[in-house]
Amino acid sequence: MIFDRPTAYELLDAVSIFLEGKIKNELPKHLGFNLQIAINVINIVKREIKSGKEIDETSSKLISDLLEDEDTMKSLAESIKNKTLDLEDKNLQSALLEITKMKLSVDNPKYSTYKELIK
Amino acid sequence: MSEELKESIGELLLAENIDGEITEIIPLTGGASAETYKFKVKQDWFVLRKGSGNTSPLAILKKDEAFIQNEVFNQGAPVAEIVAVSNGNSKLTDAYIMKLVEGESIARKVLRDEKFSQARKVLAYECGQALAKIHSVSLDSLTKVPRNDPYESLENLYLTYQQFKQSLPVFEYTFRWLKKQKFQEIEPTLVHGDFRLGNLIVNEEGLAAVIDWELVNIGNPIQDIGWMCVNSWRFGITEKIVGGFGDLEDLLQGYSSVSNLIIDQQEVKKWQVFGSLRWGVICLIQTYSHLNGPTNSVERAAIGRRVSETEIDMINLMFLGGK
Repeated sequence: MIFDRPTAYELLDAVSIFLEGKIKNELPKHLGFNLQIAINVINIVKREIKSGKEIDETSSKLISDLLEDEDTMKSLAESIKNKTLDLEDKNLQSALLEITKMKLSVDNPKYSTYKELIK
Repeated sequence: MSEELKESIGELLLAENIDGEITEIIPLTGGASAETYKFKVKQDWFVLRKGSGNTSPLAILKKDEAFIQNEVFNQGAPVAEIVAVSNGNSKLTDAYIMKLVEGESIARKVLRDEKFSQARKVLAYECGQALAKIHSVSLDSLTKVPRNDPYESLENLYLTYQQFKQSLPVFEYTFRWLKKQKFQEIEPTLVHGDFRLGNLIVNEEGLAAVIDWELVNIGNPIQDIGWMCVNSWRFGITEKIVGGFGDLEDLLQGYSSVSNLIIDQQEVKKWQVFGSLRWGVICLIQTYSHLNGPTNSVERAAIGRRVSETEIDMINLMFLGGK
């Protein structure tokens, strides 16, 4: 990496702390609501920077275990659609569960169903 | 903008013999494809609902919304009284005016504020009653409302999903799973299509009005019950299946106090899966209206990352025995 610190993660961290701590309470209610969404978005990107690559690799591995020579979400979606894979296939079900849990770990780790399932 | 809007509203009201100056006008949040304002004339508050031009492929016209709301009002369901409907000549184009119903529509407040603690106890039962009344509206005059059986609804949802060319294995799985289900055959009824907290006005006694009729359709009535039970509409209070405040048994009891239809809880569950999938597709619609549309919206961009919430709910219902 040729870039100096702060890293991409550290830059976003600084921005989200600034917005949360200094700006949010200064805004009228409806803008405060929109700012919270913006802060949430920054937090998604932070989590994706941190663990996105590893999640991608783990997901590709899960998919290639099911499909042999394919490892993308596109090919998994197509194999379900064209009925190459059986709905009752336990390996399919567990791959879908694991991939979706990893998506949630970036998108919204506070989501109720996700929190229940990782207990 | 505001002066022009006041003038157009004034013209529309005058045609209904309501005369007087509009003293206050306040924008409200109101559904994905509507602009909503509340305004005051003399001592009375009214609400204007106007098409925003940013129409969802699932939404009907505002004037048709008003017509249906009126039919439902006549059936005795809690709904705001329609005052005036734009005939298209008005500058408002597609819009209508109704009386304001006082109360709270913000889900988190209804679920958490102390002042609604009594209302929360009766709300599931009253939602059941309201739904049964909505489902009893005569279909004879509703020629403009889209009509689909469960499999057609599923097919339409699939076509919408496919447009976005986003590969979602869980969606593909769920579409196949739902296609395999045998849905109980029920005489089609009017279906609200978006019956959940956020679209219900609640006061301290209970349910005051059902609002936001833009996703109305004719189909299987259990669709509305399943939708109300979708986890996304429990706002974090997962153990209360009905909207984060109630039990399914209470809702069904309220329903059967008005209707003779016997509802099987397993059927509700299928429609819950359908509901999560439908909410997922709606998230895609909103996301892509940001990605492909002319205006930037952080809210619509962010909703794209809520698709995974619907996926985990579908998985939980279909093969983890979740509720």
